[in-house]
Formats: sequence, C-alpha cells, structure tokens
Amino acid sequence: MDLATFEKIVASIGAVVVFVFALIGLRGEWPKTGLDDNVTKLLLGLMAFGCVLVILACFGVLGGGA
Amino acid sequence: MAVSAINASHEAVHARYEAVDSLYRETRDIRLLGFVLFLCSDVVLFSMFIFAYLYLRNSVPNWPPITKGGVQLPRFDVAFACINSCVLFGSGATMHFAMESWKHLNKAAFNLWMIATIALGIGFLSGQAYEYQHVPVTWTGSTMGASFFTLTGMHGFHVFIGVIYLITLYIQANRGVYTGSKYFGLTAGTLYWHFVDVIWVALFFLFYLW
Repeated sequence: MDLATFEKIVASIGAVVVFVFALIGLRGEWPKTGLDDNVTKLLLGLMAFGCVLVILACFGVLGGGA
Repeated sequence: MAVSAINASHEAVHARYEAVDSLYRETRDIRLLGFVLFLCSDVVLFSMFIFAYLYLRNSVPNWPPITKGGVQLPRFDVAFACINSCVLFGSGATMHFAMESWKHLNKAAFNLWMIATIALGIGFLSGQAYEYQHVPVTWTGSTMGASFFTLTGMHGFHVFIGVIYLITLYIQANRGVYTGSKYFGLTAGTLYWHFVDVIWVALFFLFYLW
C-alpha cells in the first residue's frame, strides 16, 4: 500500500466520523431559534458538506481521481 | 437519553440564557449581531480573493497552467489535503461539543473538548506548514502558486488567530470569566471557529478537487 492510499483510507474514516458528529450537533441545534443557533446550523451543515467532499475525493469521484 | 430529558435539558439551558439582567441581554444581542456582521465582512474579504483566483484561472487555457518552459504544473496532493481537512472539520465538531458542554454546566467535558479543539487546530497548522514545504509551486513562479499561497495563507492566519483566541477563551473560562448565563465570548469563539472551517471547505474544493 502506498502512502497516498493510506492517507485516503485514514481521511475517509475521519471524514465519516466527523460527518456523524456534525449531524449529531446539527440535530441538537435544530429546534433552537436564536441568531447564533441559526448561524451554527448553517455552519455545521456546510461542515458536514465538507466531509462529503473529503469522502468523494478519497474515493476518486472528485479531484481528478488522485 | 430519552427525548423528554433532552428537551428538559435544552429548556434549562434556555432558562439560564434568559436569566440575565436586561442591560446584559441587550448588549449581548447587539454584540452578537456585530460579530455576525464581522463574519460577513470576512466572507466578503475571502470572496474577493476567491473571485480573483477564478479570474486568473479562467484567463489561461489549461489548469494547472503551463510554465514558460512548456511543462504543465502538477495538481496539489489531494490525499494529504483530505487528512488535513478532516483535522480541521474535526476541530469544528469538538468546538461545538465544547460549547454545548459549557451550556449544560459540564466544565470537565468543556475542558476536554476545548483542549481537543486547540490540539486539532495546531495539528492543521502543522499540516499546512508541512504542505508549504512540499507543494510543487512557489509564491512567485505562477498564478497558481500565488493564488494558492495567498488564499491558504490568509486562511491559515485566521486559524492561527483562532487558536490564540481559543487558548484565551480556555484560560478565561477556567478563571471564572464566564458563567452558565453569561458566556458570549465562548459563543463568538465557536462561531469564529466554525467560520474558518467553512472557508476551508471552499478552498479545499477550489484548489484540490476542481
């Protein structure tokens, strides 16, 4: 196994873990209605989206299959 | 934990949040709005640099660009960037749970999550420093390199400031500056840290995936 493959495996596992934690956080924030709560919801959602990008990159769907 | 217990816990947090004098509540709301506007201004700052990058990128026929010697520059290392991105996104998650721990008066968990957040933030900066040493472009060699170092450098500077901010918040929280009702500084710190996470989502896509 080369270094890039190892890095992608570690990154994909990490991204799944962070994605789950982001969803748990988002679920907890969902009923709240304050300005800071709404901004947090938006930012947590985008962070979860970032995790999806990392997973897609690790599987070669994005990033030119690198 | 049962749903009813979670709801009761949220209600207790909300009750504590509202149990402040009217002057503090009013200034807290104003400061919160001001901080969100500050984040909006930072979005504008990054947007300007991102659009400049998009302009440069679309002004050449090939990307990565071809140098004067006729050699096409290589793409950036996606695999390493994926790990570094996970480190930063993970720090966003730990920061969120640090904030929630504080709201639920669990100081031990707050300290643990905060230390994890600071460690991950330093880890991201270390990863970026490592990448700067091994990246296949230079600051002055091409528009690709100039854009990369400008945008990721500006983001890295925000992360650096954020780490100092988080360390300050950690010290303040443990010195009794914040209470279960008054913790605006922690709220602002959490929003700022989530913000630098989200900016990285855009930079990660633009430089490594597109």
